[in-house]
Amino acid sequence: MTAGIRIPFHGDPLAQAGTIALVVLVGFSIVGLTTNIFGSPTTLGGPALSVPGPGHALGTDQLGRSLMPRVVAGIHVTILLSAFAVMIAATIGSLLGLLSGYFKGLMDEIVPRLADLMFSFPAILLAIMISAILKPGTPSAIAAIVIVTLPVMIRVVRAATLTVAEQDFVIQARIAGAGLGRILALHLLPNVASVIIVQAAYSISFGMIIESGISFLGLGVQPPEASLGSLLHDGRVYLSVAPWLVFVPGIVLAITILSVNLVGDGLRRTIDPLIE
Amino acid sequence: MTPALAINDLAIDFRSRRGHVRAVDGAALTAACGEVLGVVGESGCGKSTLGMAIGRLLAPGALRVTGDILVDGRSVFALDDDALRTLRAEELGFVFQDPIGTLDPTRRIGLQVKAALPGRGTDREVEAVLFEVGLSDAGRVARSYPHELSGGMAQRVSIGMALARRPKIVIADEPTAALDASIKSQILDLLTGRCRATGAVLILLSHDLHAIRKYSDRVAVMYGGRLVETGPSSIIFTRPAHPYTAMLLRASIADVPIGGRAEPIPGAPPVLEGRCERCSFAPRCEWTEQRCTAVRPEARFIAGREVVCHRAESVIAGVRAS
Repeated sequence: MTAGIRIPFHGDPLAQAGTIALVVLVGFSIVGLTTNIFGSPTTLGGPALSVPGPGHALGTDQLGRSLMPRVVAGIHVTILLSAFAVMIAATIGSLLGLLSGYFKGLMDEIVPRLADLMFSFPAILLAIMISAILKPGTPSAIAAIVIVTLPVMIRVVRAATLTVAEQDFVIQARIAGAGLGRILALHLLPNVASVIIVQAAYSISFGMIIESGISFLGLGVQPPEASLGSLLHDGRVYLSVAPWLVFVPGIVLAITILSVNLVGDGLRRTIDPLIE
Repeated sequence: MTPALAINDLAIDFRSRRGHVRAVDGAALTAACGEVLGVVGESGCGKSTLGMAIGRLLAPGALRVTGDILVDGRSVFALDDDALRTLRAEELGFVFQDPIGTLDPTRRIGLQVKAALPGRGTDREVEAVLFEVGLSDAGRVARSYPHELSGGMAQRVSIGMALARRPKIVIADEPTAALDASIKSQILDLLTGRCRATGAVLILLSHDLHAIRKYSDRVAVMYGGRLVETGPSSIIFTRPAHPYTAMLLRASIADVPIGGRAEPIPGAPPVLEGRCERCSFAPRCEWTEQRCTAVRPEARFIAGREVVCHRAESVIAGVRAS
């Protein structure tokens, strides 16, 4: 390690590999979206179902759209959608978890029970139900990810808050005249932030699974927009004639989820070395 | 003149799933400005509950059954939220056992001291507070995080924070139990010195009899949620009138002559489920007679101290048989 520069996840090759893969994937999608060097994801450019070759690096789909820009756009949609949904879940979950862990009492009876109730449904089933109740589309995919990742977030934050709230510095803050907002924002939140960050990383990868799942079922991202899940959906019919339509988004999806998980593991190891 | 602190017949229960457990059972205590009042007793006798009750800082499951606590003549249980916050901030200071746990690990010391100061607080005021508690390198300490300090330094910081607003009452709950023996007396010297200098009452909760004897003007011995013997420390430590005090002294290693043997008190403190209608110490007491297990003893003044024992006269005289 050189002076002034800190290598992330020093001595943790798996997390470093995950970070690199994620940076490459995100870099690809940003470059693709801003420069258009891969072409437009929605333009009908060539013959339908052509094999990967010089004109279309990853071939074309059933409508003659080049797959490469569609995968690039899909990475962007899948990651961003999941990250956005998890940000909402983390905000709500942290607030409820903090209040529940700090106040105990009735609040702490109701909130974790509700979380348990949501937790007891299979995640993908819950997600399908939400998409079915709302109109299929991006907002319902986001809502599904929020609702599926919220219970775990609440539980984890509550558990961390319970230990932190026992500490004397919280009492000391009350003695100094701090109100509820000050205690939550300045004393409890910073002390449980590491837990929230690690859980958010896992939630993002889980959110991507949910998103691809419901988009694959046709309930998430709607055409002509593409996500990795909807690409799988579109390509499944042509599996025997144009397998690249399924394999490419599938492999990219697997790599993306794996690298987010590796980063999550790395974060957890960095923040709490005792876990191993 | 109203005493700085007056506790009248205070009883506190903790609600649990299996019913109520009484932590404080009719405690009575007063303290005047400028004095050091030592409260001694075993773990579980109600010391900490009593200390936290003064700031109404009890856990949510705690319930005040009877009695009152008056700070400067005002009942802490009658205050509304704003008045309670003002009381805590301006009239009370707390020093806890674990100095590192008293400080928020995610905030620099300077910021935390600032929060304990009146108004917004300036860097200069922060350094003055740290300097007063013997941290000569105040600037560096202010920029540090709690984990960068030693236990003794952290305890100095928390003493500084507790006294920053010149409170009338300082409650120190085992302030040296987590520290090295070598710095215990430094910390107690500092704490008692600062309290005397500012005219604050110091309520020193401890089971370290030696320290209590050295630093307290008055002593209150707590057992089973009651203050069983209260009086000047010179009287109580030389001629105890409550059997529990006498047995505590004999169990304390510091008071055993070289070659002698400390005598542990047999049994364990009681777990009360309500008001104790007899003497709660009777099952462990070597002076027990029939009325001890039948009648709740009330406080009496005997030989310069207040004592809660049917047999106090015999205990002072050293006559064991009834």
